[in-house]
Amino acid sequence: MQDIIEYLPFLMPLLIIQLILLITALIHVLRHPNYRFGNRVIWIFVVVLIQIVGPIIYFVFGRGEE
Amino acid sequence: MRSYIAFTKKEFHEIWSTYKFFILITVFLLLGMMNPITAKITPQLLDSFMPEGMVIAIAEPTALDSWMQFFSNVPQIGLIVLVIVFSGVMTSEFSRGTLINLLTKGLSRSTVILSKFTMSSAVWTLCYILCFAVTYFYTAYFWSSESINNIGFSVFCLWLFGILLLAIIMLGGVLFKNSYGGLLLTSGLVVVLMLVNIVPNLQNYNPISLASNNMALLTGDVPISDFTGAIVICGVGIIAFITSAIILFKKKQM
Repeated sequence: MQDIIEYLPFLMPLLIIQLILLITALIHVLRHPNYRFGNRVIWIFVVVLIQIVGPIIYFVFGRGEE
Repeated sequence: MRSYIAFTKKEFHEIWSTYKFFILITVFLLLGMMNPITAKITPQLLDSFMPEGMVIAIAEPTALDSWMQFFSNVPQIGLIVLVIVFSGVMTSEFSRGTLINLLTKGLSRSTVILSKFTMSSAVWTLCYILCFAVTYFYTAYFWSSESINNIGFSVFCLWLFGILLLAIIMLGGVLFKNSYGGLLLTSGLVVVLMLVNIVPNLQNYNPISLASNNMALLTGDVPISDFTGAIVICGVGIIAFITSAIILFKKKQM
């Protein structure tokens, strides 16, 4: 418990960034039906289950053209 | 000048709407947080993985360890992400054919290159400052009393190397049809620079020392004057790559 309090100023922003990434990516996956490859279900799993890296992979490689 | 400002604005708008800006900012923010925390918890991690009864002496982490993480994580992860994100900055325009209209309407070709270079440099600078600020803040939080030599200069060196990479990407984007060409050219040149670094006489003039030799600067093993050659070469390289990109782009068939 002592450790958690010591690292709290670090853990909070990390958690917030992670949540922001997850939510923006998830909204984008749900709103845009076109992907460069894969389908919606795959991308939802990638974005939700792989922390931090999943949403980045989606935006860099998976996001389809408008 | 007006077309330059307008085109640069369009570039900023594009990087925002393609989520690339968002990705870069988050990656560099996370990197900035990772550096001090990795330095802080490494001894504890090693401790918990050790089998019962085995003891190894690990020095208490210092602010220097945190900056060591900074100067290994930013070149290794940060610069790679930067290059990947910007590798398509020229080629996506060619493949979609969006430039043809603008160029026939009288937009000068050098403006295109300079605008893209300005935009990517500005984004890199912003992300880098952010990453530095976060690392600085947490390092000061964990190890408040310690001061570090030459930190500003060392950070500037790495920034300049990032700009050099962006200039190479611009040239790669003009030379090749798809974005992998630019990626290949950039990584190829970095590998060449690393090989050149084996020759001891050339090390002081090699731009890669700006990204790899920062720790020696912080510990005071190497004086600032040793970096002058590398900085001059790096600056000349940036100008040379951008000029050749402009010249080649003017000759290129759309």
